[in-house]
Amino acid sequence: MHHDGALSAVAAAVLEGGHAAQVELLDRLRAGDRTAFAELVDAWSPMLLRVARLHVSTHASAEEVVQETWLAVIRQLDRFEGRSSLRTWVFRILENQARTRGVREARTVPWSFGSGADGHEHAGATVDRARFRGPEDRWPGGWTPEGRPTAWEPPPEDAAMAAEVRRELRAALDELPERQRTVVELRDVYGLSSDETCERLGLSPGNQRILLHRGRARLRARLEHVYRGTTGEGARRG
Amino acid sequence: MADLPAPRSADDDVLEIACREFVELVTEHMEGTLPKALESAIAAHLELCDPCVVYLEQTRRTAAALGTLPSPTLPAAARDRVLEMFTSLHGGTDPAAPR
Repeated sequence: MHHDGALSAVAAAVLEGGHAAQVELLDRLRAGDRTAFAELVDAWSPMLLRVARLHVSTHASAEEVVQETWLAVIRQLDRFEGRSSLRTWVFRILENQARTRGVREARTVPWSFGSGADGHEHAGATVDRARFRGPEDRWPGGWTPEGRPTAWEPPPEDAAMAAEVRRELRAALDELPERQRTVVELRDVYGLSSDETCERLGLSPGNQRILLHRGRARLRARLEHVYRGTTGEGARRG
Repeated sequence: MADLPAPRSADDDVLEIACREFVELVTEHMEGTLPKALESAIAAHLELCDPCVVYLEQTRRTAAALGTLPSPTLPAAARDRVLEMFTSLHGGTDPAAPR
């Protein structure tokens, strides 16, 4: 009967409004399918907390906003018309909850994502120009022998590297300009789509890509630095 | 030299990109937002340029590794409260449960 049940609740909840699998998920939730609901709560609470922190000043407040959001979702579930994806609807509820509380806390947003480019965050190359050949070279703009990237061994996902990679990425993320860090976190750490990220942050798609590009480039460079520093030691450490 | 792109010729009207340009297009390439002509130029470049293939791969691995960072979630007590509320409003067998 429920052949679409093969689709997880989380997968169904990001589908466009009106999709058959979304309708089925809503039926299950309205019938009290606690497992499906818990799946959403567990999958989304980290990203909801992160988005809530854009609006309120403390982690504790963000936790309350997220809890209130889930309670509002539960209360309003029967009224959701399914015109958007379930996830988009949950985000809107979150933002209403967060905005209310943000106003109460008189939090002033330290930057405006809508304000467009701000100079240094957007300017310049993301890779040191010295790593490329000059205009007079036979291969202008090509990597120099010393500048070319070399494969990472063992790869970052290897158990021998994973802990150090995570530590370095966390540190490097915290050093990014706030707009870059926020975009990289929403996209790569929390798995929001580019559309969702633009909507949450009030960014144009182009600006979002620039911030993502510059942020990721710095993080890649940080990992490259780690690998260059441990050349020849990786195998022994593993 | 097989891993380097061909030298640029001024008369060539086929779009070519250099490594220095590729590294600034890598995100749009991954996002799939580039015009077709640029995508073709990138495909041609990557055919010949191993270091840029490595660069692309490293950017992908960096993004993937970010997805493994631990993130705070709701405290267990708050999660329990939410699930209890869910069951009390939507659980049970009464199809006309109050909302």
